[in-house]
Amino acid sequence: MPNSFAWDRSYIIIGVATDPMAQTPFTNDIRTLRFLAGEMTQGDLGDKVGVTRQTIAAIEQGKYSPSLEVAFRIAHVFGKPLEEVFQWQRD
Amino acid sequence: MSFREKIHWIALVGLLSAFGWYFLNYPWEIANSPKGMYTAVWMLLPVTIIFLVPMIAGAAFFAIRSPKEADLKEDEREKGIHLRGTHLAYYPLAIGVQLNIFVLINGFNYGYAVTILIATLVIAELIRVGSQLYYYRRGY
Repeated sequence: MPNSFAWDRSYIIIGVATDPMAQTPFTNDIRTLRFLAGEMTQGDLGDKVGVTRQTIAAIEQGKYSPSLEVAFRIAHVFGKPLEEVFQWQRD
Repeated sequence: MSFREKIHWIALVGLLSAFGWYFLNYPWEIANSPKGMYTAVWMLLPVTIIFLVPMIAGAAFFAIRSPKEADLKEDEREKGIHLRGTHLAYYPLAIGVQLNIFVLINGFNYGYAVTILIATLVIAELIRVGSQLYYYRRGY
C-alpha cells in the first residue's frame, strides 16, 4: 500500500510513535481473563503485577506493550502460558 | 487520571502562571544593564513562590485524596513516559544555550542573558511536562 510506506517514513523521521491511536502489534485477552477470574478489576491486576491501573488499561487497549517481565507476571496471575494471554499480530 | 498525571497538570499550570507573570512584567528597557540583571534575579523570588505554592498544595491535596496512588512507585510505562519527555526537552535546552552564547558574543548581556537562560529552562520544562502529559493521555 502506498500509504504504509509514507507512514513508515514519518515514524522513523519523527522518532516517536506518531500513530494517533498508538496501537502496538499485540492483542491480548486480559479483559476476558479478568472477567473469568471473578471480575478482577484493573487495579487489582495492577497491584498483583506491580504496575498502575492506568498501565493495565493501556495494555488492554493495545496502546502499550509491556516488558517481558510484566507480560509473564500477567500470564502468571491468570495461570496461563504467555501466548494464551498475548498474541503477536505479524505484518 | 493517575496521581502523577495530576501533578504534571499542576506543574504545567504553575509554569505558565509563574513564568508568564515574569516575562510579562520584566522591565525590558533596562535589560542590557547590571540593574536589569539584578531585577531578573530578584523576580525569580515571586516566580518561585507562584510556582511552588500551588505545586505543594496540589500535591498534598491529591495525596490526601488518594494516598495509595501517591505512595506507588513509577512503573515501567511511567518511567518510559518520563524518559521520552526528558529526551524531548534536551533539544530546546541545547538550542537555548547556543542562543545564549550567540547573544553574549553580540553584546546583549546582563538581563538579556539571564532572561534567555530562564526562557530556555522554561521552554524545556514546558516541552518535558507537555509531552509527558501527551503520552499519559495517549496511553504511552
